[in-house]
Amino acid sequence: MDLPVQQFRTKAEQAYLDLFETAEDALPGARDPFVSGLRAKAIGAYGRLGLPHRRVEAWKYTDLRARLTEVNPLVKADGAAVSEAELGQALGAEIASLPAYRLVVVEGDLRADLSDLAGLKSAGVEAVSLARALEKPPVWLKRTLAQVNPRADDAVLALNAALMTGGIALRIGEGVILDKPVHLIQLDGVGDPASIFTRNVVVAETGSAATLVESFGSLGLRLLQRNAATELRIGAKAAVKHVKVQRDRDDAFHLSTWLVELGADARYDAFQFSTGASLTRNQVYLCFAGEGSAADISGAFLLRARQHCDTTLLVEHRVPRCTSRELFKGVLDGEARGVFQGKIIVSPGAQKTDGKQMAGALLLSETAEFDSKPELEIFADDVVCGHGSTSGQIDEELLFYLEARGIPESQARALLIQAFVGEALEKVEDEALREALGHASADWLGVRVE
Amino acid sequence: MLEIKNLHVNVDGREILNGLDLTLPQGEVHAIMGPNGSGKSTLAYVLAGKREYEVTAGSVTWKGEDLLAMEPSERAVAGVFLAFQYPIEIPGVATMTFLRTAVNALRKARGEAELSTPDFLRFVREKAQALKIEPEMLKRPLNVGFSGGEKKRNEILQMALLEPSLCVLDETDSGLDIDAMRIVAEGVNALRSPERAMLVITHYQRLLNYIVPDRVHVLSDGRVARSGGPEVALELEESGYTEFDGKAA
Ligand SMILES: Nc1ncnc2c1ncn2[C@@H]1O[C@H](COP(=O)(O)OP(=O)(O)OP(=O)(O)O)[C@@H](O)[C@H]1O
Ligand SMILES: [Mg+2]
Repeated sequence: MDLPVQQFRTKAEQAYLDLFETAEDALPGARDPFVSGLRAKAIGAYGRLGLPHRRVEAWKYTDLRARLTEVNPLVKADGAAVSEAELGQALGAEIASLPAYRLVVVEGDLRADLSDLAGLKSAGVEAVSLARALEKPPVWLKRTLAQVNPRADDAVLALNAALMTGGIALRIGEGVILDKPVHLIQLDGVGDPASIFTRNVVVAETGSAATLVESFGSLGLRLLQRNAATELRIGAKAAVKHVKVQRDRDDAFHLSTWLVELGADARYDAFQFSTGASLTRNQVYLCFAGEGSAADISGAFLLRARQHCDTTLLVEHRVPRCTSRELFKGVLDGEARGVFQGKIIVSPGAQKTDGKQMAGALLLSETAEFDSKPELEIFADDVVCGHGSTSGQIDEELLFYLEARGIPESQARALLIQAFVGEALEKVEDEALREALGHASADWLGVRVE
Repeated sequence: MLEIKNLHVNVDGREILNGLDLTLPQGEVHAIMGPNGSGKSTLAYVLAGKREYEVTAGSVTWKGEDLLAMEPSERAVAGVFLAFQYPIEIPGVATMTFLRTAVNALRKARGEAELSTPDFLRFVREKAQALKIEPEMLKRPLNVGFSGGEKKRNEILQMALLEPSLCVLDETDSGLDIDAMRIVAEGVNALRSPERAMLVITHYQRLLNYIVPDRVHVLSDGRVARSGGPEVALELEESGYTEFDGKAA
């Protein structure tokens, strides 16, 4: 593919190139030819692409080039102590205390002192700091890193590959069925503006089953610029549940990319819950590489003030007999803006594909906005695909019914908003997790859970 | 006592009630009958405080309190309950959660302690059983997928739980089979008490065989065209509403 050549660069676009040049020799894996080669290729791609802007179709509603005017320096992990109370503060008590194998990444640094590496190891999971793994990548990582459903045309992802400083590499062994979720907590630090580039590489081998919860929260860093990517390869007959809870500080930029590849007869259930950051981009690229698999990518976002949250999904049915489902629900107050773009591509020969997507927004103010753009590209004839989108205000009839029963108006509104979000939360099977997300919604609404 | 004086109500700029007068003492049950579109549901909604109904003149007091000055939830606290002609479906809100929220909201507003979970469950189960409502139904989202009759029974269940003092039943009998109607009527009769007043809106004399009213009012063109004892309902069954056509306007 011919990549368009950038004519000129904005200050921020140039700043990333400078950042790379300055940091290059000190980045993890700088002396490993595989890693440094990968970084060089990535920064080259970024240089050609530049930052995405509104004339790039996939970024139509989120003009990153216009919004990103300053580039923060790379974060320096200082290994400072993080207390349980701070974790609870950053993530919400219910999320922080989820029963799970905990992995804590602070400022890109996997913190052994806060993580249950021993527990994971005895459960059959290999978990290592990505920073360390990059210095001398094991064979399995060399066969995976930047190769799971790869993208050549994504500048945000290219920046991530060029500048990643940490994260985790996780390998769930063949047939390993985890008894509780792996909770990957990803925090910023404190103090001055910084950029954090993290990448997680996860392989769920044949017949394994696991739940991976990725939570993002803030310890108080100002104007965080986060670029987080997760690559997830799901082997044949494996089942992975993947939940993301994002409550970065309300002045943060949160750019997130998930790259997912499913083998045959595999199952993937993803849920993305966002209440944080001033600008969020949640992009998920998923491809079916083996027949007979099913994926569900759903989520909810609750936004107020001038928050902006863009969910952009690309699901590629490359092989026959796979099923994909997407359901996203947004609650938008103030001048918040929600974006949902869902694209389903059905390759020639991917017969018996079944793909459906649905997005809905509840607008709590006149100035909130929801943009939804479904796209279907179907090159096979024996398929069932559908999409739908709704956007509206709280139904006055429902509100009156609740009020007529003695429920005060504000409480009745909150109940209806929770009900709206609840339809999406239903997708989360794990009860503790679903309840924690219910709490997080109630928290956002400022109400107590009945 | 419910006192409605010279009530004028507009919807969408059109006058639906024009000078309605009605007095309902505590301890009594009054029936309201009248042709389709005569304003029965409008009256019920105005009592409950639905916002799009604009009161342009007149007054409504319940036990001396000005209902029209209150928010819908405040009216519920003051004892007003409307069993809807068309109960609303609310996906995503479990019936049980809704019932509990409502019961506790009222208790809180009245300065009573909230019910504990086991106490509440016992309370609901007992009332639901009397109305032959399966406990399974209460786990489902509010009214979603309920049959017409189940929705109506669910209204009466709410009435039994909230223990209002002014009950307004808007065509609770429509859509009920004979057995369900008997069950609902028993539920309503169980709530009859010297402190409670009931306004029963219906098209059918049959319901009034079970819930015998103290008085019957006939609404026509937005006002009470005739009031009398239970015999009025029997006469209407014979002659229909033709004699009221245009007369009350
Ligand atoms: N929200 C509304 N908007 C517009 N018109 C309305 C509204 N509510 C009621 N009306 C009109 O007011 C009139 C009275 O309606 P209402 O529902 O009170 O009648 P009703 O006596 O309850 O009739 P029924 O026996 O069919 O239930 C009707 O002409 C109806 O169309
Ligand atoms: Mg009516």
